[in-house]
Amino acid sequence: MPSVPPATSSTPPVVVSSEAGPTKDPWVEITRLTYGGDRSYAWSVREQVILCAPENRPKLEERLIAAVTRPGCTDAGLAALCELLGLIGSARSVPALAALLLAPATVESGRAALESIPGPEAVSALRDALPRLSGNARIGLIGSLARRRDTLAMPALTALRDRTSEPADLREAATRALDHLSRA
Amino acid sequence: MTTLTAPLSRRRFLKTTSLATAAAAAPLILPSSLLGQAAPSNRITVGIIGTGNIADGHIDTLLGYPEAVRILAVCDVDRARRDFAASRVNARYGNSDCTAYNDFRELNRRTDIDAVWICTPDHWHALIAIDAMRHGKDVYIEKPMTLTIEEGRAVVEAARRYQRVAQHGTQHRSMKRFHDVAEYVRNQGLGKLDRIEVTIPPNNRFCAATWTPEPVPAGLDWDLWLGPSPWRPYTSGGCHYNFRFISDNAYGQITNWGAHYLDIGQWALDMDASGPVEVEGHGHFPTTGLFTNATYIDFTCRYANGIPMSCRTRHEGGGSVRFVGERGWLDISRNRMSASEPDLLREMQKNGRPVQLPLSNNHHENFLACVRSRARPIADVELGHRTTTVCNLGQIALVLGRRLKWDPAHEEFVGDDTANRMRGRALRSPWALT
Repeated sequence: MPSVPPATSSTPPVVVSSEAGPTKDPWVEITRLTYGGDRSYAWSVREQVILCAPENRPKLEERLIAAVTRPGCTDAGLAALCELLGLIGSARSVPALAALLLAPATVESGRAALESIPGPEAVSALRDALPRLSGNARIGLIGSLARRRDTLAMPALTALRDRTSEPADLREAATRALDHLSRA
Repeated sequence: MTTLTAPLSRRRFLKTTSLATAAAAAPLILPSSLLGQAAPSNRITVGIIGTGNIADGHIDTLLGYPEAVRILAVCDVDRARRDFAASRVNARYGNSDCTAYNDFRELNRRTDIDAVWICTPDHWHALIAIDAMRHGKDVYIEKPMTLTIEEGRAVVEAARRYQRVAQHGTQHRSMKRFHDVAEYVRNQGLGKLDRIEVTIPPNNRFCAATWTPEPVPAGLDWDLWLGPSPWRPYTSGGCHYNFRFISDNAYGQITNWGAHYLDIGQWALDMDASGPVEVEGHGHFPTTGLFTNATYIDFTCRYANGIPMSCRTRHEGGGSVRFVGERGWLDISRNRMSASEPDLLREMQKNGRPVQLPLSNNHHENFLACVRSRARPIADVELGHRTTTVCNLGQIALVLGRRLKWDPAHEEFVGDDTANRMRGRALRSPWALT
C-alpha cells in the first residue's frame, strides 16, 4: 500500500481504496454466453487458451473442462468452450466431451471437439457413441469416424450399411465412410 | 470477384479461344470437336449453385454463349434469389426450361447437366464440389476454393478420382497482365527477385458489439444455408455477402481478394504444386460483435528459396501484387499497372521468353474448352488448393500470433499441434467430406 499523505486544513484527505468495483470472471461469463450477446469475456478466455505456452496448456485444459461441466452452461458458451478444447484438448478432456454426445443439445459441440483431439481415447469415445445416437447426429458421427480414419469402426459401419431397415441416408453415409476407410 | 466480359458471338468465341491457345501449352488447345457445333445436343449444359451477387456475373457471361452453353438449372437456399435467377435465364432463352432448386443435391443428380458453377458462401464450396464431381459434373469453383486446407486436398483428390475438369475461380490467371508479370518474373526480368508484396482492401464492415437473433425470413432455408458450419441463429447482418466477415463461413479479404493476388505470386514463384515453408503475422481481431475476422491483417510467407511474400491490409487504394527485384518493381492490379521504371512495363509485355507460361484470355472459355477436351484448365484445382492454402496459412498465423513452419510436401505444420488441428474442421451433422 502506498503511503497516504497527511491531511492538512487546506486540502481534503486523499482517499486510497482497493475497491475498484466488482469485476467479472471471464471463465464464468463464457458459460453464460448467448448468441448475439457480448462475447468479450469469451474472447478473453480464447486469448488465454490460444496464446498460452505449451507448458501451461494442461492447466488451461482443466479450466476448460471445469467450465464445460458447469451446470447451466449455455449452448453458445458450450460451443465456444468445445472449440477451444478442440484446439488444445488431450485425452484428459475425453470423458467430459464424451458425456456431451449423449444429449441432442450438446452432441454437435462435443463431437466437434473430440474429432480434433489426437489419440485413441477420442476415437474410442466417438466409436462407442455410434449405437447410442440416431438421425442426423448419427450420420455426422459416421463422418467423424471416417475423418479420424478409424478402421476399428468398419465392422459396425458395415453392419449399418447392410441393414436394410436403416434409413437410406444413414446407409449412404456408412457406405461412403467405408469407402474412405478402405482407401486410408 | 468476377470480371464481366462482353458477350461473344460463337464465331468470335471460337476464334479468340483458338488464337489464344495456339501459342499456349497443350492443355489449353481448343478441341476441334467444338468447331462447327451448333446442335443443342452439343451444347455444354450448366447448373449454377448459389445465385447471389457473384453468380450474377457468371450468369451474364454464360448467357452470352447461347450456341455453346445452356443453363438448365439454378439453385439457392433463398427462394427469391433462385427464382429471380431462373427468370433471368428463361427470359433470355425465351422458354421456361431453367429449373430452380433449393437443395444442390437435386441439381447435382440430374444426368443432363455437364458442369456446375459453385458460387455459394465459402463454407459450402468443398462439399458441393465433391458431390458434383461424384455425380459426373465438371466444376467451376468460385474462390476461395475451400474454407480449410483439408477440404482443399479432398477436392483435388475427388477431381482426380472422378476424372473431372475442375477450375478455380481465380480469373486473374486468364488476364494477360497477370500472365505477363508472372512470366516476366519467372524469367528473371526484374533480376534477382527480392520480395512480393500483396495488398488487400480493408476486411470488415462495421458492426455493433452485440446482435439480435431474428426470425428466419420466409423463403430462406437457414439450416441449409449454414450446412456444415456451426449452428447460429439467423440475423440479417450475418447472411448474404457479410458471411465473409465471420470465420465460421469465410476468412474475409484474405480469401476474397488475397486469393487473387497471392495466386499471382504463387504463379511467378513456380509454386503451383507447392507453397511456402514458413508464415508469421498478426491481426486485429474484433473482441465482440457478429464479425470475427481480423479488421487488419499483416502476414508474411517465406519460400524455400528465401523470398518472402507479404499480405497486408491497405485502407486506401485497393489491392495489388508488387514484385520487387534488383532492377526495380512492378505493381499490378486488376485496373492499374505501375512500375519503378516505365521500361519495365514495356519489357514485361514483350513475348518470346525462354520460360513461357500457359496463356488464357478468358477464364470461362478456358473452362468450357477443357470440358470438351478433358484437359486441365488454366486454374486447375491443384494450384487453386495451393493458393487457398497460402490464404489459410496466413489466417492461422494471425489467429495463433506466432511463427509457424510449414511442410508443403506433406501439407502439415512442423512442431505445432494446435496449428495442425486448424488445417481442418469438424462439420455439422449430417455433412461430411467423405
